[in-house]
Amino acid sequence: MSDTRERRSIANALLRFLPSAAVFVAGLVAWELWVNVRDVPSYLYPSPSDIGGELRDEGLSLAVDDLRWTMIEAVLGFLLGSGAAMFAAVVFVHAKFLERVLFPWAIVLQTVPIVAVAPLLTIWFGFTLTPKVLIAALICFFPVLVNTTKGLRSISTQAVELMSILSASKWSIFWRVRIPSSLPYVFAGLKVASSLSVIGAIVAEFTGADRGIGFVIIQASYRLDTRLMFAGIALSSAAGVLFFNVIGALERLALRWPDARLDR
Amino acid sequence: MTNSGGITIDGVGMQFDGRQGVTALDGIDLDISAGEFVTLVGPSGCGKSTLLRIVSGLLEPTSGRVDVSGKTPNQARRDVDFGFVFQEPALFPWLRVLGNVLLPGRVLGRRNPNKGPESAEIARELLRDVGLEGFENHYPGQISGGMQQRVALARALSYGPKILLMDEPFGALDEFTRDRLNLQLLDVCNKAGSTVLFVTHSIQEAIFLADRVVVLSPRPGSIARIADVPWPKPRALEIRYEPEFAALTGELRGLLTVEDEVESAMNQP
Ligand SMILES: Nc1ncnc2c1ncn2[C@@H]1O[C@H](COP(=O)(O)OP(=O)(O)O)[C@@H](O)[C@H]1O
Ligand SMILES: [Mg+2]
Repeated sequence: MSDTRERRSIANALLRFLPSAAVFVAGLVAWELWVNVRDVPSYLYPSPSDIGGELRDEGLSLAVDDLRWTMIEAVLGFLLGSGAAMFAAVVFVHAKFLERVLFPWAIVLQTVPIVAVAPLLTIWFGFTLTPKVLIAALICFFPVLVNTTKGLRSISTQAVELMSILSASKWSIFWRVRIPSSLPYVFAGLKVASSLSVIGAIVAEFTGADRGIGFVIIQASYRLDTRLMFAGIALSSAAGVLFFNVIGALERLALRWPDARLDR
Repeated sequence: MTNSGGITIDGVGMQFDGRQGVTALDGIDLDISAGEFVTLVGPSGCGKSTLLRIVSGLLEPTSGRVDVSGKTPNQARRDVDFGFVFQEPALFPWLRVLGNVLLPGRVLGRRNPNKGPESAEIARELLRDVGLEGFENHYPGQISGGMQQRVALARALSYGPKILLMDEPFGALDEFTRDRLNLQLLDVCNKAGSTVLFVTHSIQEAIFLADRVVVLSPRPGSIARIADVPWPKPRALEIRYEPEFAALTGELRGLLTVEDEVESAMNQP
């Protein structure tokens, strides 16, 4: 009974992704045809099959030697940036004054171009993990801050009145009402941050690294090795999608009540 | 004022500032004795919800005072003397039905006489009483609005408050469910000896439930009439078909309609 239901839901999921997959495949086919028919120089425009070959030959070592580091940087940055953002959101919600003083600076932080900050951090911290983690954290901070603040504020007046009738402490209201009602927003922010964190790590690697997918791509670009560049791009976006989906799975675990998830 | 559960409302007025400065209530005097069931009827906007919120200490009146068995409303609220059923169910969507009914017990913690496995048993029993047996593990989002309101009722009763404040709790329910819950409410309150202040827009419901019906008139919200309801409790639904019941219903309705006419006459240019 539940087995058939499970099978049906898997079939549904496949059906849902079928159109997207079809678009992807059609794009690849068109690209392949274009490269072959127009006879463009393959060192400039490698065909999907060229890139596929590159991935087959180099993919595993790229993943193990480089992508691994990029993802470690991205995940550490994600944890650091999101953690700091959630902390700031809790502070903001409890001290309006601090929010008024600090939120404008959060916006400034958000508008600073990270490509400009990354080299600076590399000068300060060298070819270490630190600048990459910091850049990934920086890029994660704002979406999580904005969403968490909004979520913590999303409690209904009636919920607060009910807790007040029960003579509940501020602490109790925080744990029993604010946190649960913020979770849908928090996860919406975390999902955005998860995909951004990979981008942040790669940008930081551009400015000074001796390993990582960003390092591979920038090195390949000096050699006009477009195949390797495309292979790196494909791998890093696959990793970004994977990270996004891990957070999505956590979200489904945490938000079990009906209509909890905001983007459905 | 030693009777536990009595309420004295003395010259209470409420003015909301705003552009026009609404006077929601003006000079409300009302004595409610412990264990009494008082219903409030009146057109919407006449300050019924505001009065409940003042009595429960959620709102500070701009004039007059309220005494709840020798305490201020705020003290009584801190002692958790009140149970409140709001106009909307106000359930926590992330808690299942049983979890919502258990919430007060969890919040009250040590102060709560009913806790541990006992309280789960009490919660299940209350859910049975309001006809929700078998829905303990549903989320609020999976049951109808009327069922949600019944969960809210069970939640308010779960910790045995001395005073029940109910703001149009059954407005969204169908007639049959409403009848059944009315009977259950009378039964529960009778057994527990709770004092009840109950807001409704149904005159019939107001009379059926009440020891006394308070009719409010709007702009500013003030008491138009306090009517004693003579039928002894426990009551059967059939009293509603007695001529005296119809007469009282007609009389109170007349009071409200006159208000409406005056109001529409005043609104004429
Ligand atoms: N928080 C508030 N701020 C300003 N005006 C309010 C507020 N709450 C209620 N009012 C006004 O007070 C009057 C009475 O409201 P309410 O007590 O909700 O009436 P009822 O419950 O009888 O429908 C209305 O005119 C309403 O607009
Ligand atoms: Mg109201």
